[in-house]
Amino acid sequence: MTRGIRILWVSLVCSALAFPCPAQTADSGDSSEYLIKAGFIFNFANLMQWPVNTFSNPDSPIVIGVLGTDTSGGILDEVLAGKKVNGRPFAVRHLKRGMDLKGCNIVFVSASETAHLDEILHLIRNLPILTIGETPSFAQRGGIINFIVVDDKIRFEVNVEAAKQADISISSRLLALAKIVPQADGSKVQ
Amino acid sequence: MNKYEVTLQTAVAPTRGNHSWKSASGSCALNEPSRRQTRTWRAAFSVTANRSACLKRILVTVFATMFIATSARGDTGQGAPDVTAMSVEDLMNLQVTSVSKRTQKVADAAAAVFVITQEDIKRSGARNIPETLRMVPGLEVARLDHNKWAISSRGFNGRFADKLLVLIDGRSVYTPLFSGVYWDVQDVPLEDVDRIEVIRGPGATLWGANAVDGVINIITKPAKATQSGLVQVQGGTEQLTSDTVRYGGKVEDKGYYRAYVKYFDWASGNAASGQTAADGWHQVRGGFRSDWTLSPSDSLTFQGDIYNSREGETLTVPTLSSPYSNTFQNVGHYSGGNLLGRWTRSSGDSSFSLQGYFDRTNYSDNSLFVDHESVFDIDFQHDFHLGNANEIVWGVGYRSIQDKNVSSFTVSVQPSHAQYNQFSAFVQDEVNFLDSRFRVTFGSKFEHNDFTGWEFEPNIRLLGNISKTQSAWVAISRAVRTPALTEEGLRLNDVVIPPGAPPFNSPLPVIEAVFGSQQFKSEDLVAYEIGYRVQASNSFSADIAAFYNNYTNLRTAEPGTPFIEGNPVPTDVVVPFVAKNKMGGGTYGIEPFVDWKALSRWKLFGSYTFLHMNIHKNSDSLDPTPDLPNGTNPEQQFYFRSSLELPKHIEQNLVVRHVTGLPSLNVPGYSSLDGGIRWTPAPSWEISFNGENWLNSRHTEFAPDFVNTLPTVVGRSFNLGITWTSGKR
Repeated sequence: MTRGIRILWVSLVCSALAFPCPAQTADSGDSSEYLIKAGFIFNFANLMQWPVNTFSNPDSPIVIGVLGTDTSGGILDEVLAGKKVNGRPFAVRHLKRGMDLKGCNIVFVSASETAHLDEILHLIRNLPILTIGETPSFAQRGGIINFIVVDDKIRFEVNVEAAKQADISISSRLLALAKIVPQADGSKVQ
Repeated sequence: MNKYEVTLQTAVAPTRGNHSWKSASGSCALNEPSRRQTRTWRAAFSVTANRSACLKRILVTVFATMFIATSARGDTGQGAPDVTAMSVEDLMNLQVTSVSKRTQKVADAAAAVFVITQEDIKRSGARNIPETLRMVPGLEVARLDHNKWAISSRGFNGRFADKLLVLIDGRSVYTPLFSGVYWDVQDVPLEDVDRIEVIRGPGATLWGANAVDGVINIITKPAKATQSGLVQVQGGTEQLTSDTVRYGGKVEDKGYYRAYVKYFDWASGNAASGQTAADGWHQVRGGFRSDWTLSPSDSLTFQGDIYNSREGETLTVPTLSSPYSNTFQNVGHYSGGNLLGRWTRSSGDSSFSLQGYFDRTNYSDNSLFVDHESVFDIDFQHDFHLGNANEIVWGVGYRSIQDKNVSSFTVSVQPSHAQYNQFSAFVQDEVNFLDSRFRVTFGSKFEHNDFTGWEFEPNIRLLGNISKTQSAWVAISRAVRTPALTEEGLRLNDVVIPPGAPPFNSPLPVIEAVFGSQQFKSEDLVAYEIGYRVQASNSFSADIAAFYNNYTNLRTAEPGTPFIEGNPVPTDVVVPFVAKNKMGGGTYGIEPFVDWKALSRWKLFGSYTFLHMNIHKNSDSLDPTPDLPNGTNPEQQFYFRSSLELPKHIEQNLVVRHVTGLPSLNVPGYSSLDGGIRWTPAPSWEISFNGENWLNSRHTEFAPDFVNTLPTVVGRSFNLGITWTSGKR
């Protein structure tokens, strides 16, 4: 037994020595959760339409308000920098609860705001803002799109009534890939 | 927070091992190693092996692949994929490489929690639930023979270890007979296990008495997650075969269900002396689970299992006639079943659940004991928010236990037919301060049982989020272990001293026997715990927990007045040892574990356990057992696992573990090298090959207590499994 253990330890040490510095192992080919969500948000902007008078100029930016703690470290800013949808660039704003959300076209409600969802959604309920969330009951409570993780992959739920109330039209192609979620009882957006 | 699940922030449905490489950007393939690299490496690594060439080849391959994976990292020049160039369909196919699910799920728990994920189960090569528990820091897992285990948390290990509560989907599986667990009949098809949550330390407030040093909660996947057919066939050297068939389906959109049948058969092992033992066993089991959505806010779960098991052991019992002890092959027969229903309603900020279950266990054994136990339990829990900062959980429960037994010369439990009632209630308030930066949880459980009356178990916990990635917690709790049926009414004839033999030199045979007592009190614990967690990056997380436990009223066996038995002619003298509570002391320990994704394809996990026990009898105790350091628990344990994803959907796993010795049981320490590969040639097929104890360091892990079962050796064993799933999984 001792000989076997000696071989074992020798092998482990050899492999440890052969091993390059762990600091180099940062996200190599990894697709982090927020990177993928940023990709989705880019696509959503492409596959939906705001009401006619939402933007003042053809090249007014699409304003995305990130509400709450941005646990992704600003990945949305990085991914969308320099990108355009229908000729419009993106402008990402990091907002804290209580700040004015009316100037946004998209509001991404991060998980840190879970306890205040009803309040937030109530505030912007009739405005043409695409609300995107990442907490379990977001869509049922009036959010328009909600990210969920299923089997280590990102999926999204859509509340069609909430989209109608915000006067936002979503491409049927996107709806076909979504999980449609009805508005829950007793917490109507109206 | 549901009492039946540890505090979880997310509702993430965990995955079945899917380590698919495919991503829309197609950037995941490893480069082929250059010939030059391979040759240089081979020269550098020389193994002076006196072992078999086979073993050398295995080790060389293992470390060659690791090195190749390492040096081929040059492929990653491109960094992250450009998600804005990908379609929605492509994005939906990307695998989220999440941080350790383990840490993510327990980030908010103010307790020493460890989650065994389905991935962990697959990577460990475990064949049953006890084997999955070996990786958990703070747990002692010792295999006594092929069908018996001694499992405990933070000390006091034994086959009848009694300070650990085990639940399967909210149903308590500890037997009131000896307040322990029949590990041999707790089995769930491992494919259908979602996760196993282990809390070391008193889980008292939510789960109640007997969750003194820990709670293990085995949670199966919801029926919705097992909607396919599954056939799994395993064959190997110790576990000769284990075969499971499972089918899942749904009823429109209202409900999901699954049903399974499982059979396994284990061979007999060998004793330390080399002789063949009689510990083979086989078991047939079937069950179902169904989950229904009655309305947007109401759900119902209904599940059940039945089983039939036969197991052997080499047993030694005392007898009243020469040679006064008899060793023979004993066969035990278990059968039983359970049925559980749970209704949950959640609306807005509150939820409640009502659960009822029925559990029947029959044990019969030719020579030792026959026991029929029926447990009926009903539990209600309500969870609501009070204002912005308080979350309150409270509940009430009732349990009825019916026991019917038939005694033997060796074991008798009085009364032979009885019914017991337990009432319990708990309340807990979780208060958030400073925008959830701090959280204080305090509460208590109140229980009434037929032996000791009312018991009160308060605890208080504080969790602080030091930063986005770090948190720390402290807790003080009181827990009790209420008396088991055996502690009240047992007589166990331990050994018979022949007439004329020392130390008694008695004309009649002398039986040394252990007795329970109606005056036996609950064992008491006050636990002081502290812990720290850090999630340094997407690929590194660490957790460390430490504790000091102060015990009082621990069980001893105090000598009583000898008496003569036999009417009208005396047959024997009995020297009784009566259960009393005359022991106490302190234990302390530390339990760190680390998850490190060294490369996107190479995951490392390590855990360490240190436990020091300073338990001693009170000054007025006359129990003849000496106070032994650390008792029946190892002082240190170490577990390390490496999981490497190779090309062609192959995963290679390697485990190195070490457990130090148990001097009081004359069981030396041991090391084990386990490992194997898992191959997914197509989405519906998985083939796995695992070996335990590759270096064949033959060892026993424990020694018998109370019942003299011959321990058998853990040698090298292999297991080959093929799993097929139909449909979309």
